[in-house]
This record gives sequence, structure tokens and C-alpha cells, in this order.
Amino acid sequence: MNADAPAISRQPKTPIWLANLVDKYTWLVVILVALFVLTFAYGMITAPNFLTWFNFKTIIRDAALVGIMAIGLTFVTLSGNFFLLSMKETAALAIVAFATAMSAGYGFELSFLFTMGVAVVAGALQGILIGLGGNPIVVTLGAAGLFFGIASWWSDNLVISFRRPHGAEWLGSGSFMGLPNITVAFILIAIVAELVLRYSTFGRQVYLIGSNRAAGKATGHENFSMAIKTCIIASACSAFVAIAFSAQVSSAHVNYFSSSFGSSGDMTILVIATVMVAGNSIMGGFGSSLRSSLGAVFISTVDNMMVLHGFNSGPRVLAVGLMIVFSIIVFALVRRGSRVQE
Amino acid sequence: MSNSSNISFISKAKLWVTNNPDLAFAVLLAVCVYGYFAFSNDLFATHRTTYAIMERFAVLGLVGLALTLCIIAGEIDLSIGSNAALAAVIVVRFTDSLGAINAALIAIAISTLVGLIQGYFIAYLRIRAIVLTVGTLMLLRGVSLFAAEEKTVMLTDFTIPDFISTKMFMYFSPASLLVIAVFVAVALFMQFTRYGREIYAVGGARKEALASGIDLKRPMMVVFSISGFCAGLGGCIIGLRSGTAQALGLQYLLLAGTVAAFIGGVSILGGRGGVIGAAIGTLTVNFLNTGLVFNVTPAFMVQLYLGVLLMVVIVFQTGSQMFDTYQRRQQVLGDVDLVRGELLNKKRESPI
Repeated sequence: MNADAPAISRQPKTPIWLANLVDKYTWLVVILVALFVLTFAYGMITAPNFLTWFNFKTIIRDAALVGIMAIGLTFVTLSGNFFLLSMKETAALAIVAFATAMSAGYGFELSFLFTMGVAVVAGALQGILIGLGGNPIVVTLGAAGLFFGIASWWSDNLVISFRRPHGAEWLGSGSFMGLPNITVAFILIAIVAELVLRYSTFGRQVYLIGSNRAAGKATGHENFSMAIKTCIIASACSAFVAIAFSAQVSSAHVNYFSSSFGSSGDMTILVIATVMVAGNSIMGGFGSSLRSSLGAVFISTVDNMMVLHGFNSGPRVLAVGLMIVFSIIVFALVRRGSRVQE
Repeated sequence: MSNSSNISFISKAKLWVTNNPDLAFAVLLAVCVYGYFAFSNDLFATHRTTYAIMERFAVLGLVGLALTLCIIAGEIDLSIGSNAALAAVIVVRFTDSLGAINAALIAIAISTLVGLIQGYFIAYLRIRAIVLTVGTLMLLRGVSLFAAEEKTVMLTDFTIPDFISTKMFMYFSPASLLVIAVFVAVALFMQFTRYGREIYAVGGARKEALASGIDLKRPMMVVFSISGFCAGLGGCIIGLRSGTAQALGLQYLLLAGTVAAFIGGVSILGGRGGVIGAAIGTLTVNFLNTGLVFNVTPAFMVQLYLGVLLMVVIVFQTGSQMFDTYQRRQQVLGDVDLVRGELLNKKRESPI
């Protein structure tokens, strides 16, 4: 009887929605997420000039480059091929290719096609090896060294610049309806990728192979061609980012995407982090490209907020890293025991 | 008499090669690389170069060893470069105030602890190590940036770098002797203790190992703490030897260490390979590195060669996997045919 009394008195105190949440996700997760949301909201309100339209545009613009790469990588991750460790190096190769072609005077269209061709070859090479059964992490680690070496050798480790005015200026510094063109490209690519993944046959095949490779094989959808296709998509997205970046600064160097890029360290790791922070399952089959785009916006928001609070790069990288580890742990706890996790 | 012993030696060698094809391949590759550089460059096969190779071995060997253990357990530790950078930053920063030994002990303790926590979470959450270690890669970079205050930290007292690179016994220095001791200890641990065998079990056949009652937490924590320890020790050696440390440095260790591990004969499926393989693999990478330096190759070309080497090893491994599956499939098909043939015969014999 004594044991019953506190239980009865406690019952009305926890609201139904909270009880349901706890039932579903356990206390630990709910408390962690609540803490995080509170910190985030506090930072948002106290940061000066955070809640303005101009700052919002800045956030989206910062998210664009990483976001486009992350969308490309999402295809690979969704198809169950983990991730590519060569995103940055593919971009380095592409930026050198683009700038070389531009400085040789081939014009934007030809240079664009040439760069995309290089990216497709690079992606297909990795895709073939992955499709044959090589481990994606190791294959792309090797490919990363290879591409970076080729790019450095090709450019002699020098900065290649091409003079303004050039044909790519509209992509680098132009704007459309008040938004920079790169932002517009990011939004368009995000929409197209989501539509492709959701409604096209190819998109459904990606999900099928990612969630159940055996079933995919039994129904005639081999991972071999899928790995090649998804790797080409990821490489093409990297190349697009490289072109956009090169168009902005009218030059190219292999180290543009290395540790000095942005505030949060290495581009490859940032892209992978973006894909994972959004809760895409690394084992494939669960997630969407919309998640990745939102993840990019989210990381960029946190970064922006900390810049407005006046933090140095150390605490900012630390915060982004903490957030990634945090989201990995929370998503793992939420999905514990489900098939998505194993 | 001498003839018979000769034959028995050859047959022993043959037996060894058949039993350890991966190790034999690693030895062959190492000898080839060494031979190529020794013949193409007069200065390569000298005592001084050997000393330089052993100096490189001190750091890369540790990373190769750590990655070998991780891959044996069926996982991969991507955060190893960041962990080493963190240790380097800590040791260089605190050497002046605490003394080199205390600072190194603190740095190694922190790195090992980081590895231990990683291993615990990987086993507890049942996630792939790559998922968590990508996160910790970034996190540790942030921590080391924070610890270094976004600057390159430097030693003021240069007696310690001198001591670490003192020549001993012709080829060795205190650092490389220490690393060799670590190698021997880990080799004994992996070969003769239950914990070491558990790591092989968890890597080679995880489901079966778990079903037979191994707690996933223990091997994972052991593997990742060894990995953290190796990264920490490697970072300390690099930091103290060069006298400087950068928070964003040492990222090249991952590629070089992975190449070393794969040359040493680990399989990405886990459960294969060993410490001797790691040593030979690292030596091969070091021969390549040092030899390329002799031929005045820029640093990025070394990366290119390492990438190509890794891809080649992967192609070989994938090819042998495909061949294995093909053979197994043929065998199963043959067995099925056999059974079907027997059934048909029985039907024919039976009157109904």
C-alpha cells in the first residue's frame, strides 16, 4: 500500500507525451536531447544578430559547398557502401583539372565537361573496386592518396589561376533573386536528389540494395553496377563543388580542400560528419538526401552561432566534433536492436 | 648428411610458405623493395640508412601495429592520426613545466583512455567503429586545437630530442628500442593470452564468438586501448623528436599505417594477420619512403605510391576472395549434382 501511494501521486505529474517519449526512447536519450535543445536555443537567442534574414542567408551559403558533397555521398551511404574517404581528394583533382582547362582558354562549358569527365573516371575506378567486393574505406583511402598525388603532380603543387573576366564568374559570384548562385545550386541539387531517391526507379534500387543486399541480388540488382553509379554521383558532386569554389576564387590549388578549408578542419571528414549527424544509417537503406542537406545547414548553424559568440577555431571544431559524436550516440541508442543498426 | 639437412630445410621452408602465404608475400615484397633501392642507389644499403629506417619504424611501426590489431578485430580506427596529434601537442606543451617523462606519461594515459572509451562505446552501442571514430577524429582535432591554442607548440629545451635520437647498437635509438619492446609484448599478448585470442575470434567470426559467450566489450576495449596507446606513444616520439607539434598534423599516419597493415597480411574481413606481419609491412613502407627520399621524390609522390600500393594489395585480396567464393560455389554445385544423381539412381532402382 505504501509502495502504491507514491506511484499514484507521481502518475499525473509526468505528462502523457513525456511518458510516451520515455517509453519509446528511454530516459537517457530524452534527457540528452532536451539538454542539447536547451543549449542550442540559449545560444541562438543570446548570439547577437543571429535571428536575421541576412544571417540566415549566410548560413545557407556556408552550408552549400559541404551540403552538395554530402548529398552526393548520401547515395553511396544509402546503397550500403559506407562512405568514401576520397571526397576531398577528388575535389582537389577536379579543381586542378578545371583551372588547367580554364587557364588554357577552353571556356566554361568545355572545362566543365572535362572536369566532370575526370570526376566520372575517378568515381568509376573506385566504384569498380568497391563493386568487386573491396572494402569501401580501404579502397577510397588508397584512391585518396592516388588522386592527391596525381593532382599535385599535375599542378606541380602550384597555384593555377585564370584571369577575370572568365566564363565561370556567374557561378562563383553571381546571384539570383538575392541568393548567391551556389546557394541556388545547393537548393536545386537537394530537391532533385530527394525526388530521384524517392520517386525514380534508380532511387528505389539504391534503397533496396542498401537495406537488403541479398534480396537485391536475388531480384537482379547487383551491387556492382550500383557501387559504380553511386560513386560516380558522389565524385560528380565533389567536382561540382570544386568548380563552384574555383569559379569563386579564380584559381586552384590541391590544398584548397585540406585542413585550412572552412573552420572545421578537413573537408572529407566534415562531409562524412554531415551525412552522419543527420542520422542516415551507415549500414545503408535508411535515410534520405534531405536529411543530409539539413545536416549541412545544422552544422553551419552551430558554426555560425559560435562565430557570432566570438569563439576561436579550436572550440568551434570541438563543438562540431562533440555534436557529431553526440548524434551518433543518440541515433545508436534510439535504434538499438533494430535492423537499421546491425 | 649435409644433403639431407639441406632438403629438410627446403621442405621446411616450403611448408612454412604454404602455411603462411600472406607472410611469405609480405617478406617477398619487402625483399623486392629493399633490393630495388639497394641496387639502384649505393647509399641505400649502409649502416646509416638502416639507422634512419629504424627511426622511421619507431613511429610508423606503432601506427601499423595499432591498425593491424584493429583490422584483426574486424574494425578500423580512423581517429588514430588525431589521437597521435593530441598526444604530441600535450607532450610538447607540458614538457617544459613537468619534465619529459611525466608529460609523456600523461599524454599516453590520455590517448589510451580515449581509446578505451571508444572501444567501450563501440561495443555498448553495437555500432561500427568507423562510425564512431570519424566523430572522434574531429572531436580530438578540436581538443588538440584547444590544447595547443591554435598555434604550433614548440619545445624550448632541445636536450630531449637529442637523447631520443642517440645511436645505440649501431642501428637503434631509445625510441626504436622501446617500440621493438612494445612489438614483442603485443605479439606475446596476442599469441598466448586468452584476451588476445578473443580478438582474433571476434574479428574472424563475430556471430559465432558472441554466441559462444565472449563479451564483445572486453576485446573491443582491449583493442582500442592498445590502438590509443600506440597512437599516444607514436605521437610522443614524434613530438619529442622534432620538438614541435601541430594540432592538425599527423593525418598522413592513417594511410601509411593502413598500407603497412595490409602488406603485413591482414584481411579486411578480420581474424587474419599478426604482429610479425605488421612489422614486415611497416618495414616495407619505410624502405619505400626512405628510398624515394633518396631519389629526391616530392612528398606528394610518396602519397601517390602508397595509394597505388594499397589499391594493388586490395585488388589482390578482392581477387582471391572472389576466387574463393567461386570455388566454394562450384563445390556446392558439384555436391548438389552428386546428391541429385544418387537420388535419380535410387528412383530408377526402386520398382515404383
